[in-house]
Amino acid sequence: MNKKQKNITELICAVVSILTFLILWHIGVKGELGRLMPGPLPVIRMFFATLFGGTIGSRTMIIHILYSLIRVMAGYFLGAAVGVVLGLSMGWSRLVEAVFSPLFRIIRPIPPIAWIPISIIWIGLGEDAKIFLIFLASFCYVTLNAWSGAKNVDPDYLRAARMLGAGKRQLLFTIVLPASIPSIFAGLQVALSSCWATVLAAEMVRSSEGLGWIIIAGMNNNDMVQIMTGILAIGLVGMLLSMIFRKVEARLCQWNKSGS
Amino acid sequence: MEIREKENRQVKVKVSHLTKKFGDLLVLNDISFDVEKGDLLCVVGPTGCGKTTFLNSLTKIYDVTSGEILLDGHPADPKKDHIAYIFQGNSTMPWLTVEQNVAFGLDIRHVPKREKQELTDRYLEIVGLTKYRRYYPKQLSASMLQRVSIARAFATEPELLLMDEPYGQLDIELRFKLEDELVRLWEMTGTTVIFITHNIEEAVYLGEHIMVLTNKPTTVKETMRNPLPRPRDIAAPEFVRLRERVTDLIRWW
Repeated sequence: MNKKQKNITELICAVVSILTFLILWHIGVKGELGRLMPGPLPVIRMFFATLFGGTIGSRTMIIHILYSLIRVMAGYFLGAAVGVVLGLSMGWSRLVEAVFSPLFRIIRPIPPIAWIPISIIWIGLGEDAKIFLIFLASFCYVTLNAWSGAKNVDPDYLRAARMLGAGKRQLLFTIVLPASIPSIFAGLQVALSSCWATVLAAEMVRSSEGLGWIIIAGMNNNDMVQIMTGILAIGLVGMLLSMIFRKVEARLCQWNKSGS
Repeated sequence: MEIREKENRQVKVKVSHLTKKFGDLLVLNDISFDVEKGDLLCVVGPTGCGKTTFLNSLTKIYDVTSGEILLDGHPADPKKDHIAYIFQGNSTMPWLTVEQNVAFGLDIRHVPKREKQELTDRYLEIVGLTKYRRYYPKQLSASMLQRVSIARAFATEPELLLMDEPYGQLDIELRFKLEDELVRLWEMTGTTVIFITHNIEEAVYLGEHIMVLTNKPTTVKETMRNPLPRPRDIAAPEFVRLRERVTDLIRWW
């Protein structure tokens, strides 16, 4: 089976599986359950109707999505940047590790949403607070992975580079950093889904736009179609994010693929 | 001719009274020897006799307990001296292409771009990897990877090349091929090479000089000149005789 045939088979399977799910959903809500749960058609209709044209609340769907995405990206990249620097430093220097790891070990297991009350008290639940929460979600995973990546660099690479005359700085930038990239990317991927979950939680607590707000507003208005539309959008955007992520990773970690 | 003779006799590496202890364990016991410039010295000894400890002391991975190692009369320092090191197993960087791996040592030393490209191209060609320059290590076989390491070491045009059982994990055919490649490169560049092995045949095939070490605590048992002309024939009677002599030295203490 060549690659093209394989792709077509995969595509057919995906279409069949999604269609089957939609049909079962459609049939399932015909009876008694239909009073609690809308069918797939109204949900899809609402999704496309509000995407650019109609509004949910005072904004179109695409604007809601952008609000959530911008919050995620701001916190995500901030957390990733700090996490990579801190994690690599912890893996590289015993002293930095000794200073930061006890603190980090305590902060890491706290789920980001546990900070919601305190961030409301400190900074109110405006944009700053949401970005702060997403930052925490991203920062912890990235730090942890960068740290273990830098700690587990194959000593043979370091030895080879040292033999070729590399100084400490050169070892850090030409060996430790690139050798940690796969591990950092694994952290970035987990961090991305964690951020996506956190932005929804933050928006559900307080906001006037965004995907989390759509669901909560739907609940408050008893609008099941709106809730399901919000959930559909969350799923689709989450899927797109991880697809884009994998493309970027494949680009940057080309060397890590085995075979030719 | 006389001048050249004298130049050849110039001492590149001078090891005097080298002693290394790990705690109470005496590993290297008062080793002294000289390596002439342009020599290819093969060091053989029983397994676990501290051959690698010896190389690691030479390159300052370990601090020596006493004694000193001089390179051109100064204490050896991998940061300043051009020492290259090829060891057993794969030490190529998986995130760099073959070409970038060969250029790695040159990047570390900030060699100007044009010179770097020239050296990289030249040594890629010599080890026959020009076609594979854009490949990543994961796409190559073990022997190709070892050739990348060899090209990387030679590209830095080292004054001293240290090889620690570099062909230990390769099958016999590849080993023969890479041994010939080493001899060719050594003849071309005139680099001083110290080659550590436990394979006596390999030592006799490669070495200009052969140094036999004893079991722990390690001392030098004997250093001999290898007069056999190149290319050497491992089945020739003189070759076999020399090989057996070295074998006897290792067997008897």
